[in-house]
Amino acid sequence: MADLQFKALRKSFGDIEILHGIDLGITDGEFVVFVGPSGCGKSTLLRCIAGLEEITSGELYIGGHQVNEVPPSKRGIAMVFQSYALYPHMTVAENMAFGLKLAGRPKQEITEAVQRAAQILQIEPLLDRRPKALSGGQRQRVAIGRAIVRKPGVFLFDEPLSNLDAGLRVQMRVELARLHKDLATTMVYVTHDQVEAMTLADRIVVINEGRIEQVGTPLELYRRPSNRFVAGFIGSPKMNFLPCTLVAATEALATVRLEDGTQVTAQVDARGQAEGAALTLAIRPERLLAETASGEGTARTSVIVSEHLGDTVFLYVHAPGGQGQLTVKALPETPLRTGDETHLRFPAKHCHLFGPDGRACTRLI
Amino acid sequence: MAIVIDKSQRWRVVAAHVFLICLCALVIFPLLMVVSISLRPGNFASGSLIPTTISLEHWRFALGLPVTNADGRVILPDLPVLRWLWNSVKVATLSATTAVLLSTTAAYAFARMKFAGKKASLVGLMLMQMFPTILALIAIHSIFSRLGHTFPAFGIDSPWALVLAYSGGIALHIWTIKGFYETIPSEIEEAATVDGATPWQAFWRVLLPMALPIIMVIFLLAFIGAVNEYPVASILLRSQDQLTMAAGMKQFLYQQKYLWGDFAAAAILSGLPIAVVFILVQRWMISGLTAGANKG
Repeated sequence: MADLQFKALRKSFGDIEILHGIDLGITDGEFVVFVGPSGCGKSTLLRCIAGLEEITSGELYIGGHQVNEVPPSKRGIAMVFQSYALYPHMTVAENMAFGLKLAGRPKQEITEAVQRAAQILQIEPLLDRRPKALSGGQRQRVAIGRAIVRKPGVFLFDEPLSNLDAGLRVQMRVELARLHKDLATTMVYVTHDQVEAMTLADRIVVINEGRIEQVGTPLELYRRPSNRFVAGFIGSPKMNFLPCTLVAATEALATVRLEDGTQVTAQVDARGQAEGAALTLAIRPERLLAETASGEGTARTSVIVSEHLGDTVFLYVHAPGGQGQLTVKALPETPLRTGDETHLRFPAKHCHLFGPDGRACTRLI
Repeated sequence: MAIVIDKSQRWRVVAAHVFLICLCALVIFPLLMVVSISLRPGNFASGSLIPTTISLEHWRFALGLPVTNADGRVILPDLPVLRWLWNSVKVATLSATTAVLLSTTAAYAFARMKFAGKKASLVGLMLMQMFPTILALIAIHSIFSRLGHTFPAFGIDSPWALVLAYSGGIALHIWTIKGFYETIPSEIEEAATVDGATPWQAFWRVLLPMALPIIMVIFLLAFIGAVNEYPVASILLRSQDQLTMAAGMKQFLYQQKYLWGDFAAAAILSGLPIAVVFILVQRWMISGLTAGANKG
């Protein structure tokens, strides 16, 4: 059991600074997911927690103790690597027992710990096999088992599911969630897959270019992204962004004009922005409506491609009056097909507005 | 092979086989010649490949057994061939072991650790080893002669001096092992570190078992090198009893008399330990030891 505290943590490789001052607190028993595009520094941050990378400056506390200078083995952490990193010359049981063996624990205790972990992960029949004779999913379980037997205060996962096929990934995701519920241990999980982040996390930390963009529960991030980066990163398919100019801002509503002249209202507080300022209107594909007839506040455009997925239809439409395209997640009953004319409706309560600096205007719902 | 093959392919296959058979014959011929010479009576380098009469006199000589001459006199071999063989095996085993110990650890440092001057020392090692040993013979001789004053065990005419001299020639081995280590994902050792292993434990219990094939290759190469090495052995060893096979066999060939038959028998004998070591280590030279560590 342990909590984590980062204080102005920085990490440089040579002259290149990768992490530019991370301030973050993770409470005991929390499942926190670091998410961000590749190269954003999330794995480096995880390796700093593990002690596999030295911290250039700042402080890191695990369970209240500063661990900047503490070697990995003494930090009370266990790590599951992206590539599993099993010991190929040892059996599954030996792989899981390795840490305890090094710690000089009695044989009886080691056997029990391995058995218990194998039971939790349902890999008991595999204990005498070598990693070579295991499938990808089984190897992943062994890697997790190796972490469990050490009873760490903090589990670190470095993109543990990225090497599995789609079906197995879903299955392991569910198991990881169950594992966290059973063990109630602090878990820090790195991924670039926002679906994993949304489904597993108590809190998500969105990292971009070595900085924390936003910290919050999955729904907070989904509903109230604090900036354009988070808005674009969380949610699939990606949120739609349209350039617009502010016409009027009141306490309850903001009115903006799209490039084709359509006026759209959004339930956000945009009073901090000047009238006529160039803003960005954003709306999620599942909230954007594509209608067949024009109406009040709709923007006329046409469907570039329609993709029917059975339960939903993705309509890719031209951005009204401008370059680029928007995505509409429509019901399967939509009559719209490739090439059809359509009228886009932007429901006010689902619209986001971002200022020229990328910061979000406060939503009022 | 289920690939459809063009008819003209057949002739190419035949041609390839002919070429390969010729190549094999070329490689095997000298060996057969040596066997033939060792079984022929008298000391003649030339003659037919299949001896008309078979005589074991050279083998008896090489094995230290009394030989009955043509005139009926029984003579005892004057050269301790078996002793030389034993010396060779001893020196080769010790120096190969030392070479493996030094090169595996040094290669680990070069492959995994960060330190100042790493690149320079790697290149330096390579450059130094590029000069043939013969250039350094005089230096080697004077070093060990001086060393012998302080540590007699490492002086001239001591097998330990030879072991020490051979152990210096590991630059190439370091490069080879370093290359192999770099194919092993460092995440596996990091996992061991997180599991509580010290750098030494991560090296000894995790990396080394995975590097077994290359270690065996290096052992074999170092062993063969030590058995075959002549220049250094010939200047460091003097007394008859201390010589290695390679250095001692020179004594079969002197101006007045070339004992080709005895030389051939001894040469085959000196190949035996290499063959034995090869058979012993080859079962470790298997691929795929790291299979299963990664996603695969």
